[in-house]
Amino acid sequence: RPAGGGWVWAAVRPPRQPGMAEAAGDAGLGPAAAQEGAELAAVIGATVPTGFEQTAAEEVQEKLGSASRISRDRGKIYFEVPARSLPQVHRLRSVDNLFVVVQEFKDYQFKENKEDALKDLEDLVKKLPWTDPLKVWELNNSLKKKKTKRKKHNLQSPASREKLSDAGEEGGADQNNTNDQEDCAQNPVAVEPTGGQDPENPQGATSRNGVEEEDNEQSDVKVEVQASSESGTKAGDGQTGEGEAKVLRFRVTCNRAGDKHSFTSNEAARDFGGAVQEHFQWKADMTNFDVEVLLNIHNNEVVVGIALTEESLHRRNITHFGPTTLRSTLAYGMLRLCDPQPTDIIVDPMCGTGAIPIEGAAEWPFCYHIAGDNSPQAVKRAANNVCSLLRKNETKDSSTALGVPLDIIQWDICNLPLRTGSVDIVVTDMPFGKRIGSKKKNWDLYPACLMEMGRICTPGTGRAVLLTQDKKCFAKALSRVGHIWRRAQTVWVNVGGLHAAVYLLRRTWERAEERRSFW
Amino acid sequence: MKLLTHNLLSSHVPGLRPGGGFPLRIELGHPSELPPEPVPDYEGDEEFLRRVHHVLLEVEVLEGSLQCPDSGRRFPISKGVPNMLLTEEEA
Repeated sequence: RPAGGGWVWAAVRPPRQPGMAEAAGDAGLGPAAAQEGAELAAVIGATVPTGFEQTAAEEVQEKLGSASRISRDRGKIYFEVPARSLPQVHRLRSVDNLFVVVQEFKDYQFKENKEDALKDLEDLVKKLPWTDPLKVWELNNSLKKKKTKRKKHNLQSPASREKLSDAGEEGGADQNNTNDQEDCAQNPVAVEPTGGQDPENPQGATSRNGVEEEDNEQSDVKVEVQASSESGTKAGDGQTGEGEAKVLRFRVTCNRAGDKHSFTSNEAARDFGGAVQEHFQWKADMTNFDVEVLLNIHNNEVVVGIALTEESLHRRNITHFGPTTLRSTLAYGMLRLCDPQPTDIIVDPMCGTGAIPIEGAAEWPFCYHIAGDNSPQAVKRAANNVCSLLRKNETKDSSTALGVPLDIIQWDICNLPLRTGSVDIVVTDMPFGKRIGSKKKNWDLYPACLMEMGRICTPGTGRAVLLTQDKKCFAKALSRVGHIWRRAQTVWVNVGGLHAAVYLLRRTWERAEERRSFW
Repeated sequence: MKLLTHNLLSSHVPGLRPGGGFPLRIELGHPSELPPEPVPDYEGDEEFLRRVHHVLLEVEVLEGSLQCPDSGRRFPISKGVPNMLLTEEEA
């Protein structure tokens, strides 16, 4: 990389204004191009758990002051921020992945003929406004480098809280399985976290994507451009000597959904990638890429972007996985839905590995969080996860040794050792028939759960946010407890390829019996 | 287990009289320094509040047990986690 920070295509960049670099330099940013980037207004695209787009938009409004557009392509929101706000953008809790938008086409007209349609995409490359987004990408890189160096000491950024060796097994079609991630499903080798285990077969990926789309839209698997003539050896991580211009490595990931396209995402990625290679003279590399170009096609909506995150943020907090670990972004969305207020007591009575209470304690430290489960393994795992969180907080610069406002108890959901009306919020991931237990058990379990949750919850002001895949069973159970719970809102979500629902319930003013005596 | 959690816990052994399960008696391996009683006008007493905050949220019982006041049944606390599961016979 030349000392001035330019890349190989420096020739096409307009000359820099003096003064900008100084101003940006005060912000302590990296190379000159990155400094320029800070001045820009970046249009950021974020992938979020399907169904929680509104919640994510609220978080963006609250923390960044920007309004969001919710795309028709579900699970994505778009907002504009000054590029210098990137660190705050990365700290958003409801976001799985981030990218900077190169250009959006609200109503792209695809030619009917495959060759023509693909040619159009190829021709598009040189017309796109790459310059500014690439500066944002570069600025983002300089942030990442700082994070990597500080990884051991930094506590607040999702990058450090996440981590975790995906040493966890996530069996089968899983919740964590980032179907929303552009790359993971397709190429496990490329993205380190999910690597190791489970080579997803394209078959599996297809079916998950297929399930995700409503109305039988034909959905295609995501693909990256083939590293055409690359040799088998991977170049290192791109380190070069001083003053040597670095040639960027890239790949293209295409997500395509819609039933009127004449081409597959495979073909689009291949041809678009070819044109990108031609235009920038970058090297195509599926696994060791610097730039990941995103080509998202949803019917007539086309968005070209550059990825700002490599691995999903949603694995943060959880170091010890269990078979049904919930995505942190989903846990965050659920918690936000119940609008926790300072001093609220928040209980997860079926906490599993503790995804929800841990996210709760991290983001709502002025509430008090209690997690419980009947399984000794779950309790142990949750405790380990909390310890990891605690360890991170310990090294923080702080004169007072703050405890984490979270406790774990081993208990039976049907007979909770909690005083009547002592809890403000109940939030939990109810057992799914297929994963733990069976549907038949849910039939008896759900009503008992709802009754007991109703007993411990404060009449009038209390609320519950419950995630379940067994919607039929839940609806039936709810109808039997109408005197203590009222349904306030339902969010349809996608968990590991399964259609699930998150129910926000409000506790009625009716007082519960002291102790259930009629079961 | 923190003291604030203890404030919410109640024994659920069957057959207790109403309210008979609270408060559970904390049994520790060693004596502790809990304040005996709140002072008058404690809301304005910053020093006192600090100590209460500390005791409620920053002191943990790692090993010990919780005893039901009416039945005497003990629930163990191990590694900071109370086990409040009833046995098959009890439930």
